Amino acid sequence: MAEKSYRDAIRDAMMEEMDRDPNVLIMGEDIGVYEGTFRITAGMLKKYGPKRVIDTPIAEAGMAGTAVGMAMFGLRPVVEMMTMNFAIVAADQILNHAAKVRYFSGGQVDVPMVIRGPQGAGVQLSAQHSQSFESFYAHFPGIKVAAPGTPADAKGLLKTAIRGRDPVIFLESAALYGMKGQVPDDPDFTVPFGQSRVAREGTDVTIVSYSRMLQMSLQAAERLSKEESIEAEVIDLRTLRPLDLEPAIESVRKTHRCVAVQEQWKPFGAAAEIAASLTEAAFDDLDAPVERVTGEDVPMPYARNLELLATPHEEHVIEAVKRVMYRS
Amino acid sequence: MEIIMPKMGDAMTEGKVIRWYKKAGEAVKKGDPLLEIETDKVNLDLEAEQDGTLGDVSAQEGQMVPVGERLATILGAGEKSGAPAKTEPQQRRVIDKKDSIKHTTGEYAEAIEMKAPRIDRTQAQKTNVVAMPQAESSRRRSSPLARKMASSLGVSLEAIQGSGPQGRIVARDVKEFGSGAAAFRPPIGGLKPAAPQQTLEEKSIPLSTMRRTIAKRLAESTGPIPHFYLTVDYDVTNLLSLRQQLNEIEQAKISVNDFVIRAAALAIRHHPNVNASWGDEAIALHGQINIGVAVSTPEGLITPVVRDADQKSLIEIANEVRALAEKAKNRKLRPEEYQSSTFTISNLGAWGIEEFTAIINPPNVAILAIGAATSQPVVIDKQVVIRDRMKVTMSCDHRVVDGAAGAEYLRTLRQYIEQPVRLIV
Repeated sequence: MAEKSYRDAIRDAMMEEMDRDPNVLIMGEDIGVYEGTFRITAGMLKKYGPKRVIDTPIAEAGMAGTAVGMAMFGLRPVVEMMTMNFAIVAADQILNHAAKVRYFSGGQVDVPMVIRGPQGAGVQLSAQHSQSFESFYAHFPGIKVAAPGTPADAKGLLKTAIRGRDPVIFLESAALYGMKGQVPDDPDFTVPFGQSRVAREGTDVTIVSYSRMLQMSLQAAERLSKEESIEAEVIDLRTLRPLDLEPAIESVRKTHRCVAVQEQWKPFGAAAEIAASLTEAAFDDLDAPVERVTGEDVPMPYARNLELLATPHEEHVIEAVKRVMYRS
Repeated sequence: MEIIMPKMGDAMTEGKVIRWYKKAGEAVKKGDPLLEIETDKVNLDLEAEQDGTLGDVSAQEGQMVPVGERLATILGAGEKSGAPAKTEPQQRRVIDKKDSIKHTTGEYAEAIEMKAPRIDRTQAQKTNVVAMPQAESSRRRSSPLARKMASSLGVSLEAIQGSGPQGRIVARDVKEFGSGAAAFRPPIGGLKPAAPQQTLEEKSIPLSTMRRTIAKRLAESTGPIPHFYLTVDYDVTNLLSLRQQLNEIEQAKISVNDFVIRAAALAIRHHPNVNASWGDEAIALHGQINIGVAVSTPEGLITPVVRDADQKSLIEIANEVRALAEKAKNRKLRPEEYQSSTFTISNLGAWGIEEFTAIINPPNVAILAIGAATSQPVVIDKQVVIRDRMKVTMSCDHRVVDGAAGAEYLRTLRQYIEQPVRLIV
């Protein structure tokens, strides 16, 4: 174990996999000479050379399409999107090609590629660069979607993504890059997809979340414990597709109450999926409707004060918990 | 100008005139409410669309008027009454009267304010707002967990006060109710014990005719009738809770025994062989279910009869039994009121007797001995919970009712006693 930042954990994962498998390569805008806008790829061009660390033109559809072709022929490309917002340009390559090739080829051709990059709000990047895409991608069969909430999971999930057979959308939280945590050193440490975990044990209410909202939920849980004597169980989903709700269901059977927390807008979001699935699986165990804590339904403002108002906070989680416990 | 019955929705073909606010010949101002009409959804006022005098009131209060037909006219200055009585066909003006309409059914008035230009939408809104209160009154809001807990505790949600939003019954309400539920249980006993006598005296009590008859008949019974007994233990938690609710809602005085009478009678319908008489040549099955109810009087026991008990409601049975018991105590029973029972129930629950065996009341072939309902710890879903239980012993004439037949009857009776809502329908 070593203390690492979320940013370094991601770089370690890529470098370990590049050391392990010569077919792994990375490509993206300004990742080589400039060493990455968020400095995720610092030092990598020097170490692996321009054949495996490829600076691309500003052409996301081209990057993604190139990666699809590389993956079909046996390489394992990892494409960095400067932010996931730019990957919208590449949506056709991702959703209509990467996600469909195995199906169209009757299972003959895999597309083992990773599209990774930061998303989400909290760093004043305004309306076009602060969006969250988990529900957008997780809607489609044929791709996997990871959204790690800790440095260890960022490393373990990214290594699983690189080693796998599937196209993976790897959603990093821009606001978590500096966050530090214990990360295993073992080069074979991986975190499997579709395996949620109990991030904090509790008895009174279940909070289901992922990515940055996981960290916020954990903070809210601590405050709930101190201020309200409410012990919240916090579930970390880790991947949205495949989605493992078993620990959440089990938890709700115990606590009878649930709050689902997401950063993105409320309509058709991950929290809605969580709420609906829990209601289907554990209806008779619920003592209150599953509450959703989400971002405000507006384009993300640039101004710091407005951005804070538009994103979910501990307070919102605490209020929602009190509502489902009929304490408010 | 004419005032016509407006079309307040696609489905509306006619409306009712509730009352006129103005009389014929009375002066009206624009905006004055002229009359109240009733549609299948709401009541509303029609207002005058111009100043003038109300004339030609052709629709009377209480009258149904087809949409588009004239209700009255407003005569402007100089205009004369006697406009053509018959209006043109409905197409002429299928209401665009929203501006002149104000709803009088208070709570809906705002929701269905008719500002929208299209009738369809207002119709949809009306349907919604009218339907809601019905749903509310017929169903208590409750969380799924609360429902599950209530059902496993055997508690009816109707009895529980909800503390959640909009009165939603949530888990903690059921929990609290469950812990205080004992308070709602009807007391056992209810009868004052006999006061001790100061001195005991020796005396001979001459046999009354009644006491002679009792002696003769019961001796006849245990003598020639081969009795056997079946005892069961019913869960009456739901029954007691239902009884309490019914008595509160209906302001009735239905006893546990009245429930048992109806349950026993309904169960007989499934097993007519226990509603029979022994004869030397044949067993007679009876075409009616007449339940004899053992009543204690100062003179002794008598069994007035609730005839066709399977066709009477709980309240009817309760009223009838009370009247019969009163008459029995005053010795006012007429023969037809205590004869021709086909099945008998004896209940010593009020005396705190938990279990006993009764002697068959000939020519019946079975009698139920009902004990007191008491709270008992029982195991449900591997958890000990407190439930109200009541022991019932059936005495059967083995010549007619075999063991299995008696057991079948008691099994059916269990369904009625333990799921007492069946007794209400």
